Amino acid sequence: MLNKTPGFIVLVIFCLMLGWVQSPYAEKTASREYLIKAGFLYNFAKFVEWPEDAFPDTSVPLTLCILGEDPFGDSLKSIEGKTFMGRELAIRRYSRVRDTDKCHILFISPSEKKHLPEILDRIKDKQVLSVADMEGFAEQGGIINFVRIEDRIRLEINIDAARRAGLKISSKLLNLSIIIREGGETIRP
Amino acid sequence: MKFYIENLIGRFRRFFIYAGLFLFLLPPPVHAQPDLEQIDITELSLEELMEIKITSVAKKPQKMYNAAAAIFVITQDDIRRSGVTSIPEALRMVPGLEVARIDANKWAITSRGFNGRFANKLLVLIDGRSVYTPLFSGVFWEMKDTMLEDVERIEVIRGPGATLWGANAVNGVINIITKHARETQGGLATASIGTEDRGSGSVRYGAKVGDNAFFRVYAKYLNRDNAVFAGGGEADDDWNVTRGGFRLDWETSVNDSWTLQGDIYDGNDGQTVALPSLTSPYLESFAEDNEIAGGNLLTRWKRIFSKSSDMALQIYYDRTENKDSTLGEKRNTFDIDFQHRFILDERHEIMWGAGYRYTKDKIGNTFSVIYDPDSREDNLYSAFVQDDITLIKDQLRLTLGAKFEHNDYTGSEFQPNARLLITPDQRHTAWAAVSRSVRTPSRAEHDVRINTETVPPGSASNPTSLPVLVTAQGDSDFESEELVAYELGYRILATDKLFIDIATFYNVYDNLRTLETGSTSLEFSPAPMHLVLPSTTGNKMNGETYGMELAADWRPLDWWRFQAAYSYLQIQLHLDEDSMDTISENAEGESPHNQFSLRSSMDLSSDIDLDLWIRYVDELPALNVESYVSLDARLSRKLRKNLVISVVGRNLLDSRRSEFGTPLFVSTLPTEVERSVYGKIEWSF
Repeated sequence: MLNKTPGFIVLVIFCLMLGWVQSPYAEKTASREYLIKAGFLYNFAKFVEWPEDAFPDTSVPLTLCILGEDPFGDSLKSIEGKTFMGRELAIRRYSRVRDTDKCHILFISPSEKKHLPEILDRIKDKQVLSVADMEGFAEQGGIINFVRIEDRIRLEINIDAARRAGLKISSKLLNLSIIIREGGETIRP
Repeated sequence: MKFYIENLIGRFRRFFIYAGLFLFLLPPPVHAQPDLEQIDITELSLEELMEIKITSVAKKPQKMYNAAAAIFVITQDDIRRSGVTSIPEALRMVPGLEVARIDANKWAITSRGFNGRFANKLLVLIDGRSVYTPLFSGVFWEMKDTMLEDVERIEVIRGPGATLWGANAVNGVINIITKHARETQGGLATASIGTEDRGSGSVRYGAKVGDNAFFRVYAKYLNRDNAVFAGGGEADDDWNVTRGGFRLDWETSVNDSWTLQGDIYDGNDGQTVALPSLTSPYLESFAEDNEIAGGNLLTRWKRIFSKSSDMALQIYYDRTENKDSTLGEKRNTFDIDFQHRFILDERHEIMWGAGYRYTKDKIGNTFSVIYDPDSREDNLYSAFVQDDITLIKDQLRLTLGAKFEHNDYTGSEFQPNARLLITPDQRHTAWAAVSRSVRTPSRAEHDVRINTETVPPGSASNPTSLPVLVTAQGDSDFESEELVAYELGYRILATDKLFIDIATFYNVYDNLRTLETGSTSLEFSPAPMHLVLPSTTGNKMNGETYGMELAADWRPLDWWRFQAAYSYLQIQLHLDEDSMDTISENAEGESPHNQFSLRSSMDLSSDIDLDLWIRYVDELPALNVESYVSLDARLSRKLRKNLVISVVGRNLLDSRRSEFGTPLFVSTLPTEVERSVYGKIEWSF
């Protein structure tokens, strides 16, 4: 009876396919805070637009780089490989800022805090979206800073720095963020 | 009964054999590290990300967690992983909904009872456009479809949604929401082939235009095979529809966004109808194609005035056409809707709106269905206001709202509701609601005459020498059906891995539709001379329904998720003493008492997904439909970054089964759902 049913055949195919599947992957846990931040990074890729020459050809991935110690754990795995406008998201980790020339999004780890001025100086003419979670990051010329307000994550965006980098940030993202102007003006949502 | 139980055990035995075989062949599970986070963060919007607290848990997006209503959301991921190929099939996963396939292209879908092909207490919207037909009041599901890959989510609210959505959202609202054009950039092509899907495919392409605008265009071809009759013969109910559409989303300024979207479709769906005639053999049964076509165009403008105030204006035009041997309908609908939300002060958030709808039809009358007049224009005016009152910040909220409507059938209707939401902490939500809702008359209930059957002369029930034509007729005195609903709900995030949502309801209906049998009269036209036995619409029934729905979402391991749904429903109907109705109380036995669904989703590796879905649906004694257990399975593999193949087996436990009976009024012969397998390939470029 069983061997006549397509259901049985389907199951056998499933099981055979399972046989050569690798075992389910075990992952380390990541902190909740950085998981949420990874979610934001994913959204930045959607809501920020780079100048055309930031991508020499269509096969160039959208590259997210972590400079310094990676605080994300495995959180970035869920966004790695996602595609935006036909471009895949690649993740790279670097310890020296001079290696980050091909990055589109550069997350500067808290471990690099004391090198921040030289990092920002090095990338200031690049078409790169700099992101960090350090107090005063946006005021010092970084583009997006994660800040913690009432136990939730909010964004500070330095739109002057974004403009210098040639990046266009969607109004949707700007609407929800605290806007930092280099003249000292702050616009809250 | 004994046979029934044996049959059930037999079916389960087969399931256990499958399950055992499956587990035996499955590679041993590897111990996975516990993971605190179960959310797919890429599914969350910016707003939702900003709402999540860093130190506490709130797994469900806030919108669902904080709703004082029985809400369930089907995500794109649920649609993809369930392997469904149409919207009705996706709805089978929702607790509290009844989804039964009548034939290969027609469905009976309702929420909390009163099912039928023209189930009239459930409102359905696609991107804010009502697809509920005022002709029979119901949804022609065979005409409503879109590219499933571009659906962002389907929100289902059981219970009255009248305040926000208007009349006819009596037992529920289904809101099908497609993705913003920004989310569908690039190309996607899908093709599937199988035993029931004879070859369907879709193509979508999205790109950016100008500085702040995105668009997509799509085309979809659907080709579904014939099903079989209960006797085993092949039916003529194949289903072919070609559709195409577009969506343009444009952010004209920081505070303004525009959407323009539209679809057109054309196709045919087969059916076998049994129509009465006045001459021998008095019943003609034949197969035919119902021709369907239509289109729509919608535009929406949203403007944010400030953080505490925004508005939306939506205008749409919709045209539908369908034609078969019972009826032809051409309908044009124009709708305009405005909404404004603002925060009045610390306690009050106000939402108000107004709308107008114009609809005009032209009916092609036949011998069996006659509308008088055959063309009608109707106007619907509506306005609503809702106040969201914070009684205790973050813990206790009261929502008071009401909708006023004026329609051409019953005049003014008032539909108020009150909802209380208690959120003592981030893990628990309790809510309670009392609402009044009405189901306004359909055009048919006022204007139609349907010749449902002919009793031949000289037969046992008709000893006369003339044929007796049995009819169902509308009546201009037919009133709205009324509901007062009492609801209680509770949601709990029991552990970081287990979320449970329970909703209960007690509905009190009055003025429910009946068909009052009248007295026989003689009729000369059409020839030959015959007697007519009319049943006329009346409002001589009341009743209560009660029940509970449970949804659970459990992620025991970071690669394995279970989603369960259970529904219990009891319907009690009472005819007025002077009622001559003989069929309306049957609704008690046309809905399943118990339904259960369990979905298992496994990410076997980053490239391979395995999904299993088992469902139980109780018997429908009034329709002679037995209970059934169904198993669907899907295995997908990502071959390359942009190429996914999947194999889906559906209804694997039975070679075929019946899910519904012959629908009321129009005798479309039901067919059975067969076991089926299909393969699908998805290529993004």
